[in-house]
Amino acid sequence: MRLIRQSENLWQYQLSKNETDILNSLVKKFPFHDNGPVQISKIEKDAKTVEREHLLADSLTEHRKELKKLAVQLLGPEKWKVGPKGNMLTLSSASREVLLQLLNDIRVGCWHALGEPESLDVPITTKTAFGYRNLMDLAGVFEMSLLEPEEQE
Amino acid sequence: MPLTAEPATIPQPTIEEGTQSKDELAPTYNVVCWNDPVNLMAYVTHVFMKLFGWEKQKAQKHMLEVHEKGKSVLVREGAEKAEFYVHELQKYKLHATMERAE
Repeated sequence: MRLIRQSENLWQYQLSKNETDILNSLVKKFPFHDNGPVQISKIEKDAKTVEREHLLADSLTEHRKELKKLAVQLLGPEKWKVGPKGNMLTLSSASREVLLQLLNDIRVGCWHALGEPESLDVPITTKTAFGYRNLMDLAGVFEMSLLEPEEQE
Repeated sequence: MPLTAEPATIPQPTIEEGTQSKDELAPTYNVVCWNDPVNLMAYVTHVFMKLFGWEKQKAQKHMLEVHEKGKSVLVREGAEKAEFYVHELQKYKLHATMERAE
């Protein structure tokens, strides 16, 4: 996946057939994992903080519902064109931002599913864990493809 | 009914020593971002730029602080705004909390 063209509000990427299939299957996996425990403060545990944590949990749930709705339209057929060297995906800046959030949500979800290891260098011992790790890495690769132009600035 | 208005008496405010305005008493909070091994450095920088409108250099400085020191205080705000930033950072799946500033 690489950026071909960028105007003020439009981002056009070129993807191989294989990349197209993987990206579509990744987006369909959202939400991959539940939100996990919500924490708004590491120190305070008073009633006000508990109330704030409830509000945060509600806000995150609503946000993920909204992301799920957007995910359905995100990679719809109207966003794609078949080009000479693969498929061309055109995203608005807002859609690009949504895609980035979705991919990162999946990546972090895999990390939760793996038991939140402190290091990602730990050896993978089970088939299930291998699946999570693979998915996490794939999401990361697409995230980096989206972020690469910013990295080069 | 009196034909002429009597001069109004305006009470003088009593100034007590050692009192503070409401703003001065309201607690402020540090919005802290904590390190984790999963969020990509480029992604964290992107989120800081997007959310706070920072230049890349400032966003990277805070990202590196998170990465190297385990946490970074991003902004210091009143409760409502600090809460807003924590919500937004967590929507991006960053580990952020608000801690009362000393």
